[in-house]
Amino acid sequence: MVTNIADVCSCCPGPVRSGSSVARYCAVRPGLALQGRCCLRGEPEPGVIVGLDLGNCSLTSLCAGFPDASTAVVIDLTENPLENIPSTSFQGFTRLQSISLPRALQCPGGSMAWDLNTTLGDSRTCQGQRNLCNSSGELAWLCPENSQCSPDGPGLVQCLCSGNYHGYKCLREGTFPLLLFYGILGAVTTTLSLLAWGSQRRKAKAS
Amino acid sequence: MAVPRNLRRQPANGSLVSHCTHHHIAVFLLTFFSYSLLHASRKTFSNVKVSISSQWTPSDLNTTALELQPYELWNSSHLFPNAEEATLFLGTLDTIFLFSYAVGLFVSGIVGDRLNLRWVLSFGMCSSALVEFVFGTLTEWLHFYNKWFYCCLWVVNGLLQSTGWPCVVAIMGNWFGKAGRGFVFGLWSACASVGNILGAFLASCVLQYGYEYAFLVTASVQFAGGIIVFFGLLISPKEVGLPELGEEQEGSAEEDANKPLISNNEEEEEDQNYSIQAPDTSNQPKAIGFFQACCLPGVLLYSLAYACLKLVNYSFFFWLPFYLSNNFGWKEAEADQLSIWYDVGGIIGGTIQGLISDMLQKRAPVLAISLLLAIGSLFGYSRSPNSKPINALIMAITGFFIGGPSNMISSAISADLGRQELVKGNSEALATVTGIVDGTGSIGAAVGQYLVSLIQDNLGWMWVFYFFILMTSSTILFISPLLVREIRLLLHERRLRMRTG
Repeated sequence: MVTNIADVCSCCPGPVRSGSSVARYCAVRPGLALQGRCCLRGEPEPGVIVGLDLGNCSLTSLCAGFPDASTAVVIDLTENPLENIPSTSFQGFTRLQSISLPRALQCPGGSMAWDLNTTLGDSRTCQGQRNLCNSSGELAWLCPENSQCSPDGPGLVQCLCSGNYHGYKCLREGTFPLLLFYGILGAVTTTLSLLAWGSQRRKAKAS
Repeated sequence: MAVPRNLRRQPANGSLVSHCTHHHIAVFLLTFFSYSLLHASRKTFSNVKVSISSQWTPSDLNTTALELQPYELWNSSHLFPNAEEATLFLGTLDTIFLFSYAVGLFVSGIVGDRLNLRWVLSFGMCSSALVEFVFGTLTEWLHFYNKWFYCCLWVVNGLLQSTGWPCVVAIMGNWFGKAGRGFVFGLWSACASVGNILGAFLASCVLQYGYEYAFLVTASVQFAGGIIVFFGLLISPKEVGLPELGEEQEGSAEEDANKPLISNNEEEEEDQNYSIQAPDTSNQPKAIGFFQACCLPGVLLYSLAYACLKLVNYSFFFWLPFYLSNNFGWKEAEADQLSIWYDVGGIIGGTIQGLISDMLQKRAPVLAISLLLAIGSLFGYSRSPNSKPINALIMAITGFFIGGPSNMISSAISADLGRQELVKGNSEALATVTGIVDGTGSIGAAVGQYLVSLIQDNLGWMWVFYFFILMTSSTILFISPLLVREIRLLLHERRLRMRTG
């Protein structure tokens, strides 16, 4: 097993709580395995976090290794004294489909980033992450020239270069044919130099 | 091409055509394209300015709350906080370049006359190509952006680029005699405009791959040009055993015919003064000193005249597209295309006026008449209606009367001055004189860029045109002593012809 996944999976002692949404998710799908607080994928992507249960961990803020769980589909953060989660904490969490939080907290990225926003007892569950790039509503995102919108976690989008464009601000298109250019230039220069030398300077006296 | 009166008087001397060997054509083309390439790389810089300032700044969004992600892609470059400051810096680079170019011209002329012109030209082209490569391509590949580094590189580039003009004019002056010089040089001075078109074309072809490739391509082509010049350029007819110009064309008939007539003339006096200053220059061609070159008759006056005229001419180059899009609200690309007509007028003007001055064998009267008409056309242009064809026509006419004389002073007249009777003993004055004339002119141009923006900001475009008219009048003022002398000479010649014929 990859060692660094343990960081976020062991930031809270104990295993995934039975009965939590992560445990339920893991149980019904074949090929998944529980380790620490995580539900991990087996072959062909061993060690990839698909579920993370940090419920009842007395967390006041998210663990340091939290960004490692960006592949997670299900996350449980209930029963924690969490006060506020910065919106950028979930940057890159594009696969996230269900997150449970203490009731006092809003869904990450706002409720309009989710299809369903339900409360049950002390917890809030946000389900079905929306792709803001496809929404034609108020938050239709405009990316600069040569780039296109791409989801980047709940309520977050990024602009990535489209097609052949690359480089800073997607200003460049294609790759310069360096070899071809220098090949042609070298050949032309050699020919013209020889031609000019032969017709002009060959008979020149040193001045 | 042949000059009728000239032929009648000196049939043995022959016309331009009979002396035109394949060496002449090769020299014409090699010098033409080497200066074109130098100018092309300057034009590249002005054509990629938008891309460079984009590369140097973070993304400019009206809504600061929504920052574009990922950060590295959109906002990681912070050389300048916004496009305005980057544009200001690019303008500063232009000014730095012009000043260091002007200083360099004074130096390179002197160096060119003392070392081999071919080495200096070839070295200037190759080394300036390397500096441009470092400036535009290497810094981008290494992501090393530093304002001071850019400034230093552009100072060095100005100095190295300045080797071009004095050397190519000197070489052309060695090959093409005074008889047809006005016409040949008029045609030849299209090299700067051809360079501009070439630079714009090369830059627009590869700009999609990134601005660094625009620099890479123009710098590489310029480097290649330097190599070809090194292997192929003959700097003077004597290198292949052809007779030198001074011996057979310039000295003999014209000056001999004039000698008895102008014996009481001031030119003779200056001749004596000069030989006192430099008594031992008759046997061996030795390079002339900087101050000696300044003291040659006509050099100082033409330099000052050129400072005023190049100011107007360069202001047109730099400000015309901006004026058109600013004043008439035309699109920038259209304004860029339209401003080509000024160049076209300049090339035609330089060639035709050169031809007329060859026939007259005097250049100052042609300049003076053209400049008087230039004042009129400037006045007309400042009142041009909002119509593209009419504007283009008046623009071409203005180019004809301003660009023409400007081309003539910087090339044909510089060559005349550097190969005049007084320096015949030491023929290596050509590059020095060209450097002085063009250097003074470039200082005028550099100061002018600043003044034009100042006047335009505070007083408006109309006053910019009044300023141009003032500068053109100053040019006439500076050449008026030469004009008086040349007209007197013309009258003498006519009287002589009437008496003999």
